[in-house]
Amino acid sequence: MKINGIQIDDTYAEAFNMRGTRVLITAQNLKWAYHAANAMTGFATSVIGCGVEAGIERELTEAQTPDGRPGVSILMFAMGSKVLMQQLETRMGQCVLTCPTAAAFSGIDSEDQISLGKNLRYFGDGYQIAKQLPDANGINQRYWRIPVMDGEFITQETTGMVRAIGGGNFLVLGKSQPQVLAACEAAIDAMKKLPNIIMPFPGGVVRSGSKVGSKYPKMFASTNDAFCPTLKGAVKTALDLDIESVMEIVIDGLTFEDIAFSMKVGIEAVCNLGADAGIQRISAGNYGGKLGPHLFKLHAILGGSS
Amino acid sequence: MTALTFTLKNGLTHQLDCRRLTNQFLADHTIADIEAMTLESHHKVADWFTVSGSDASNIVFKQTNSYLTHIGHQMTKGRITIEGDCGDYLGQRMQGGSILCKGNAGDRAGDKMRRGILLIEGNTGDYCASSLMAGTLGVMGFTGRYLGYGMKRGTLLLAKQPTEQATWVDCGSHHLPFLKLLYQSFSHFDSQFAKLSSTRAQRWMGDISGIGKAEILFLNPD
Repeated sequence: MKINGIQIDDTYAEAFNMRGTRVLITAQNLKWAYHAANAMTGFATSVIGCGVEAGIERELTEAQTPDGRPGVSILMFAMGSKVLMQQLETRMGQCVLTCPTAAAFSGIDSEDQISLGKNLRYFGDGYQIAKQLPDANGINQRYWRIPVMDGEFITQETTGMVRAIGGGNFLVLGKSQPQVLAACEAAIDAMKKLPNIIMPFPGGVVRSGSKVGSKYPKMFASTNDAFCPTLKGAVKTALDLDIESVMEIVIDGLTFEDIAFSMKVGIEAVCNLGADAGIQRISAGNYGGKLGPHLFKLHAILGGSS
Repeated sequence: MTALTFTLKNGLTHQLDCRRLTNQFLADHTIADIEAMTLESHHKVADWFTVSGSDASNIVFKQTNSYLTHIGHQMTKGRITIEGDCGDYLGQRMQGGSILCKGNAGDRAGDKMRRGILLIEGNTGDYCASSLMAGTLGVMGFTGRYLGYGMKRGTLLLAKQPTEQATWVDCGSHHLPFLKLLYQSFSHFDSQFAKLSSTRAQRWMGDISGIGKAEILFLNPD
């Protein structure tokens, strides 16, 4: 399959089950909402070393937030509910509670509820106040008002936790590092407009794709040598001779459809640049079934034969 | 479904305890059942009210006066709207739901209230919010003597400056974004409370003769 002269490999991205949540962060203005959200989603690129994968999903207007202030929504994913709860509480306490004017609210409905401000309230040292109030839909929600030095920190007691998918991905292969990066930036710009997904790596792009396992027994992941351009002659490479750079876009999302659609949008944004922009191929992280049960077949996603 | 409506008949000249006219007593009853119910005073409901409508989660009192006491007593859910004045003990021991009084209320409004929203567009008598344990009580008009007497937790929201209370401590004037959440919860009411927008309030904590974890918020212009 070729689009605009760019070869689409007949392969699939392999993704795994995660637990996810959404938190709405508001503040006096967007600048301070971003300060809190950036801190909360910092050091959250991969569950391998960070515990969670997190990112800013989108900006919210005053009309879209519970307290009528501007804000952003963030999505956070972990391999299990216990880690997600632990990380959410820690990050709430260190990144949102501490940020001037910031408040946090539940951003997703679910029968499974996890603590947002439930335990943070004890920071109030007995002066915290619980308020149970109907939301815009008339459903009672429980909030905590915790006295802090800039006034009050407001947080909803819990937020929803849902089943989610992590590790959707595609690889962009091209003639040079700047050209591949420019193509990835175009993909990220297009994908950032979509709901229910995040691209957790720096700028949404990762250059250190991994394979499962290593020659070193203590390492459970190591560099994806088949896609490393400088090893083309030394390993069983997946690259043609004129490919000099490969970058990956990893996607975590709430549903299979959300991830599949975001991959389509991202790949199409790359292909719109055409082969003349130095992009040779689109491929995907396929680990032969060792990683997870969700297979995102590139040809099927792009509407071609698989 | 239309609101279950109690229209007071003329001639009431003594206090009438209305504590049984809440959702938990009235749900799933026909109008005939309700009219035959006995109130605390041994009067039948039909002796004093014309009953219409069917939705017991939305109860309306019409042509009311200050003889009607204990409206919303121990109510747990639903909404009560009083389209006029009412008497003492409005929302006493309230456990949930909401009450909107469009007129004045008598003494001890919100007495020992534990949860829910109680809104009074007019004035209140003495001991407003006495021993209130939690929840939100809003008053647009003037409040009587002994405001928040023995109040433990919860929020008393006032649009008119209260008289100073010896057992309440002034915590200063503040911009409180939380009030936007509170106002959003008022937006469900056809009421002056739905028009509130100021997030600046003078805050007192009390009643410090007890645990002192309650607050009075007197709304200031932004």
